[in-house]
Amino acid sequence: MGNNQEETRLSLPGGVNGGGGNNNKINMEILRLVLNRRRCNEGNGSEEEKIIEEEDDDDEEEEEVPTHLNTINSSGGFLVVSPDKLSVKYTNVQLHGHDVGVVQANCPAPTKRLVYYFEIFVKNAGAKGQIAIGFTNEHFKMRRQPGWETNSYGYHGDDGLLYRGPGKGDSFGPTFTSGDTIGGGINYASQEFFFTKNGKLVGPVYKDVKGPLFPTVAVHSQNEEVIVNFGQQPFVFDIKAFAQAERLKQHMSIEKVLLPLNVSHWIVRSYLLHYGYQDTLNSFDMASKSTLPPIAVLQENGFSEHGNMFALNHRKLLRQLIRSGDIDSAFGKLREWYPQIIQNDMSTICFLLHCQKFIELVQVGKLEEAVIYAKAELAKYFEIASLAGLVQDCIALLAYEEPSKSPFGYLLGMGQREVAADAVNLMVLLEDPQSCTKSHLEKLLRQLTACCLEKRAINGDQGEAFHLQSVLQSS
Amino acid sequence: MSMFRVFISHLTDIETMTTSKKVITREEWEKKLNDVKIRKEDMNKLVMNFLVTEGYVEAAERFKMESGTEPDIDLATITDRMAVKKAVQCGNVEDAIEKVNDLNPEILDTNPQLFFHLQQQRLIELIRNGKVEEALEFAQEELAPRGEENQSFLEELERTVALLAFEDVSNCPVGELLDISQRLKTASEVNAAILTSQSHEKDPKLPSLLKMLIWAQNQLDEKAAYPRINDLSTAILEDPAV
Repeated sequence: MGNNQEETRLSLPGGVNGGGGNNNKINMEILRLVLNRRRCNEGNGSEEEKIIEEEDDDDEEEEEVPTHLNTINSSGGFLVVSPDKLSVKYTNVQLHGHDVGVVQANCPAPTKRLVYYFEIFVKNAGAKGQIAIGFTNEHFKMRRQPGWETNSYGYHGDDGLLYRGPGKGDSFGPTFTSGDTIGGGINYASQEFFFTKNGKLVGPVYKDVKGPLFPTVAVHSQNEEVIVNFGQQPFVFDIKAFAQAERLKQHMSIEKVLLPLNVSHWIVRSYLLHYGYQDTLNSFDMASKSTLPPIAVLQENGFSEHGNMFALNHRKLLRQLIRSGDIDSAFGKLREWYPQIIQNDMSTICFLLHCQKFIELVQVGKLEEAVIYAKAELAKYFEIASLAGLVQDCIALLAYEEPSKSPFGYLLGMGQREVAADAVNLMVLLEDPQSCTKSHLEKLLRQLTACCLEKRAINGDQGEAFHLQSVLQSS
Repeated sequence: MSMFRVFISHLTDIETMTTSKKVITREEWEKKLNDVKIRKEDMNKLVMNFLVTEGYVEAAERFKMESGTEPDIDLATITDRMAVKKAVQCGNVEDAIEKVNDLNPEILDTNPQLFFHLQQQRLIELIRNGKVEEALEFAQEELAPRGEENQSFLEELERTVALLAFEDVSNCPVGELLDISQRLKTASEVNAAILTSQSHEKDPKLPSLLKMLIWAQNQLDEKAAYPRINDLSTAILEDPAV
């Protein structure tokens, strides 16, 4: 254990603005609150859209997806790829095993997902029906059937065998021929390939290769012709149901985990305490009196650290004032109760409150007053690089006839008040040396996300990431 | 070096290769934790979802006021749902059934199992109150026909009626039916059915996320040593055992 609370526990004798490393840390923490929100609101469109957009940008789902066949890297001479690059035909007369007509997709299968899948339709089985579907890596020799070489896998139409490396043909599924639709996929959760025939699962194959894999098709006798579907057309196989079933499997193993009794309840309670949602907390405690053991009993059982009662009433009142837009009163109360918090006018917290005051003036249409206020209180923050952006956003509100419909309209909402209220709450909490800057809930969610990301990174970037937002949207 | 020694040293090489896990220091891990984006609104939603699903109506209303978070369900429907739940918990099953039907008659029509369990609970309450004749009549008229339709219903019915055969029910093999936990079980079944009928998930999301955290840590343990959270209630990060 040792120093394991060092990270979030900041002891703060003598207020926050006296200089030193801790202050920087706190300023950073407050700034994080502010900038997170600002970043969420860049770009146009409704707030919802912006949030979703931000999620998409999250370097996650931005992977390239195969859309067509790679005509440059195909074994030219033996086959012809159609102009739309989605069908391929063997035009030669087959001579030997090194004149296979192989084509890979234009890029490897994306990995940051649960499953990848594509299909081929056998338009013509040609002279011998030696058609194959599979996956190959970038070093694949482009004149061989997928599955004949190491690090390649192929399901072959003429014998129904599954090939994975030299000399390894395993009995696998039915043969396939003209009129059949065959699918090939990768299940990243189970680390398996899987193949389908006419909408039915043929079976899985263990995937023992890491690194990028290209969807690959091969034709090998005269007039063989296949059409590839990278998802532009609906698939014959119900890949959504397949992925859903896979998710359910994972879900079942997660649901088997046992939780300590009532732990969710205590995490919610400590969250309410942390943010000073005192009315909610009182209702919550009242309602759970009959179903849960009283707190006194829990404290005996080591449940004492469930959140911070410190200055709860002050924090609640400050939050109420800020949420109602009454920044002057919030300043007044802070001056009375915690003068040290706002003694340095250049601190981030003062900046944030001044911004909020300005925003409230704009909100009620007192533009002249707002201008005077900005000159007196906001202009000075331009010299602090990390704050300049927000100052600019605020002042930009003045340029619009309808500020709420401007790109900076996000500042006028309840959300921005909440940010200011959270920042003040945090500052007050930090007056208590026992405080954490983050709620238990937040720490747990961070740990969860980090674990999922790390697991995927170690696994060669394969599989889905964890997104709290998608969990919240699914219902 | 003998061939044997070489072989052995190779083996240990292989072993250390396969068992050596990636070690992530506290400093590195904390950086990763800090890079995670968690939005306050999302945490608020999670808390609201918990309050709503668990039926804390008043707390949900207060939370809406204090945090500006919109509940994902009409709060009025929670009151109705909690009234049903409470009725079952207090043993007023007839009242509960009526309330469910007022809410949405389809709930019981489409859930024969739930309806049976409610009727069974009603029978249990009659027996608890010593109304033997009434209990027998109710069992024969209302429950027996359902038992004919379904083998598992019949078994449950027989188990319940067996309560009548014992002098001291608190010590008999089916005594657990009279336990308060049986009421809670039935109550949570009704609760879940009502939520489902309102196209709301029957379980709050928070416990699932906590389970997922434990699961994800266990999975990552196989690949890496990193600071873990072992106690959910304190959320303290503990250094990896090296």
